[in-house]
Amino acid sequence: MKKMLLFLLTLLTVVMLAACTANDDAGKEEPAENTDHAEGDAEAAENEDDGKVLRLNNGIEPKSLNPSIGFDSVSWTPLNNLMEGLTRLDEQSTAQPGAAEKWDISEDGKTYTFHIREDANWSNGDPVTAEDFVFAWKLMLDPEQDPPSPAAFLGYFIKGGEAFNSGEGSADDVAVKAVNEKTLEVELEAPTGFFLDLLTNPAFFPIHHQVAEENPTWHAEADSFVSNGPFKLTEWEHESEMVFEKNEEYWDADAVKLDKVHWAMVNDDNTQYQMFERGELDTASIPAEMSDQLIDGDNVFIGDYGGLEFYRFNLTMEPFQNKKIRQAFAYAINRQDIAEFVVKNGVDPAFGFVSPGFTGPSGSDFRDANGDLVTLDEDKAKQLLEEGMKEEGYDELPEVVLSYNTSDTNKAVAETVQDMIKENLGVEIKLENQEWEVFSAAQQDLELQFSRSSFINDYNDPVNFLESFITDSYMNRTGFSNEKYDDLIAKGKSEVDEEKRWEYLYEAEKLLAEEMIILPIRYYNTVALESDKVSGILRHPVGYMDLKYADKQQ
Amino acid sequence: MLRYILKRLAIMLVTLWIIITLTFILMVSVPGSPFNSESSSNEIVQANLNKHYNLDQPKYIQYLEYIKSIATFDFGPSISKPHQSVNDLLGRGFPISFELGIISIAVAVLSGIILGIIAALRHNGIIDYLAMGLAVLGISIPNFILATLLIQQLAVNWEIFPVATWSSPAHMVLPVFALATGPMAIIARLTRSTMLEVLTQDYIKMARAKGLSPWKIIIKHALRNALMPVITIMGTLVAGVLTGSFVIEKIFAIPGMGKYFVESINHRDYPVIMGTTVFYSVFLIVMLFLVDIAYGILDPRIKFHKKGGD
Repeated sequence: MKKMLLFLLTLLTVVMLAACTANDDAGKEEPAENTDHAEGDAEAAENEDDGKVLRLNNGIEPKSLNPSIGFDSVSWTPLNNLMEGLTRLDEQSTAQPGAAEKWDISEDGKTYTFHIREDANWSNGDPVTAEDFVFAWKLMLDPEQDPPSPAAFLGYFIKGGEAFNSGEGSADDVAVKAVNEKTLEVELEAPTGFFLDLLTNPAFFPIHHQVAEENPTWHAEADSFVSNGPFKLTEWEHESEMVFEKNEEYWDADAVKLDKVHWAMVNDDNTQYQMFERGELDTASIPAEMSDQLIDGDNVFIGDYGGLEFYRFNLTMEPFQNKKIRQAFAYAINRQDIAEFVVKNGVDPAFGFVSPGFTGPSGSDFRDANGDLVTLDEDKAKQLLEEGMKEEGYDELPEVVLSYNTSDTNKAVAETVQDMIKENLGVEIKLENQEWEVFSAAQQDLELQFSRSSFINDYNDPVNFLESFITDSYMNRTGFSNEKYDDLIAKGKSEVDEEKRWEYLYEAEKLLAEEMIILPIRYYNTVALESDKVSGILRHPVGYMDLKYADKQQ
Repeated sequence: MLRYILKRLAIMLVTLWIIITLTFILMVSVPGSPFNSESSSNEIVQANLNKHYNLDQPKYIQYLEYIKSIATFDFGPSISKPHQSVNDLLGRGFPISFELGIISIAVAVLSGIILGIIAALRHNGIIDYLAMGLAVLGISIPNFILATLLIQQLAVNWEIFPVATWSSPAHMVLPVFALATGPMAIIARLTRSTMLEVLTQDYIKMARAKGLSPWKIIIKHALRNALMPVITIMGTLVAGVLTGSFVIEKIFAIPGMGKYFVESINHRDYPVIMGTTVFYSVFLIVMLFLVDIAYGILDPRIKFHKKGGD
């Protein structure tokens, strides 16, 4: 019993202590107003000392800052400002000399020789060498890496790349070599007209090979991180913030106006907007429910973003084995209304497949040149449905289920499509939603009949998207297989004459519209709130946000 | 007592094993893969990744690997954050969640009990209605709404507190408030109702008749019994709050561990799912154990050997 009493006393003490702590905190909470103001002043003072500090939000912790491992926007957006590939996108979103000063392309278009700038240096002062690129690219393609790169397929354009990555070839057979310290030679599998664009992708960024050989996790912490881009990583408090400082070793450091960039990691739409309102962030995204209110403001940036939202027909399931029925569905959709009233946020309706923002050799935009391929046409839709049903001998259309991965916007779009199909075709379709992973596994296995999908470009060429639908492509997910299409894409990848190459791609897109294996809904766009003080942030249709030329008024 | 504790420990281990096994079965039977994303990919890349993380192995081997990793407290690297081990993630997130949680619990328990006592003493008076009105509001307003309202009013409009992130005491005020309100309301209501019951008991009348001061009666005699139901809910409450609140941490951008419970499942990040499940289970089991011990101390009528002997 005495022991019990003792225990009770101890417990009471603990409770009392907790109470005291709480009281202490309560005490601290009272004058918080003063503390905060003092802190605000301190922050302001700090800003003056630090020069121009841009405050951004990265949303969440980057997956990895090891160039080819990250492969998502939260990793590659910061990385694009820390590092620089052989080429870099300029204000017009075209590839310009980056770490490479100039290059020679062989006549057959397969061998590229890059001359790296003499003054291209790493943030620790060492020169950027050809070997750094060889090291980084072979690491991307190495199937035994820890972990293997999810972006490795981007390196298959390099001769021997696919063989090495699939385990059939070896690292030595990958045709990229350092001719001398500053000269890099790459041989490609086939001529690739967009190779220079591809090189702006962070997967192709160099890695300081001596640093990486000594410390394989050099990229995991700020103190060991070496970069060759406009900024260097000086602080990285995991899951909460990163601080970049201007990299004085960068060859074009004079063009960099910012002194520091703070990246917060706030993963809540409302919170990051409230921080923007309060002045704690310089840019923010627009929370969905405030779109109508904010989208027309002066401080809103709206730009193209290479990507398409679409619905996949499953050609291995009834009734979508029939082309005319697929076309009927596609012509029954009023995309203008979906973009304007359902998705909102300034997005454009998709009357074609390749999104706007790809400039061809003649200087015209792919989308403008190939025109509108699918528009609303109720009469044509009804007629096509009738013909299609006759061809298949249907008295009544088999049941159609439209599946989408659970989200408010996806639901709203799906319900609108359901309405439009009912109104324009007189067909009742069912809706079904699934959690993302379950949904995407089922879609991959062709278990869904009619399902939502999206595509975001990895590199700046229309073939990136169009290639998805070649026979047996991992991204195909429709059961579509067409020799003519495969052939057009093969030519659209390797034709040396750019004019001709684009012609093949125009034709391929038209064939896609004729076969109508997917139903385009709308293009993606970039929307951002930007403080009046900020200027010069580059947001490319394909590529990652660039702060090289960004500026902020004090 | 010692025998009881040893027996409980054995039961705890079995419980843990059942939880791990069930989690594993659920985890592998749900479709999806950690490498599914909206980005492009191809078969070779997928195969390399699956091989690297041993996901191409038969399920029973994967299971044995998991048991091994749990036994050695090394859950391996996270799949969605490949350069960080699960231990790193939990080791970094838990102290922050714990800090937020312990302050919130302290605030909730203290203010809840005080509110409950006051309401019970002023039964059916204005103060009772006010206190219980507050409690009903606290229970019925979800904390994410409260959090957003607090930020809008106190941080954006009045600029008293910072909006979000976790760096100074001033940053803690709003999340603690948002997190503590719900538990506080529950505790206040519980305390009030048991307090009312206890206050009508004979031994309280006896204490009054003896001429003890009212506060002494409440603190020493009434509260001890009135707290029993509160202790009962404390186990789950503490385990839940201390291991982090997904919603509150997300809204206030607090780098705690709450997010891993939800995100690991969304991303099919198997090692993190296992790590968080084991961590939370151990925490919860231990808390429930402590609650049982506390019962015995507060209420001598509960005897461990009898309970264990059933």
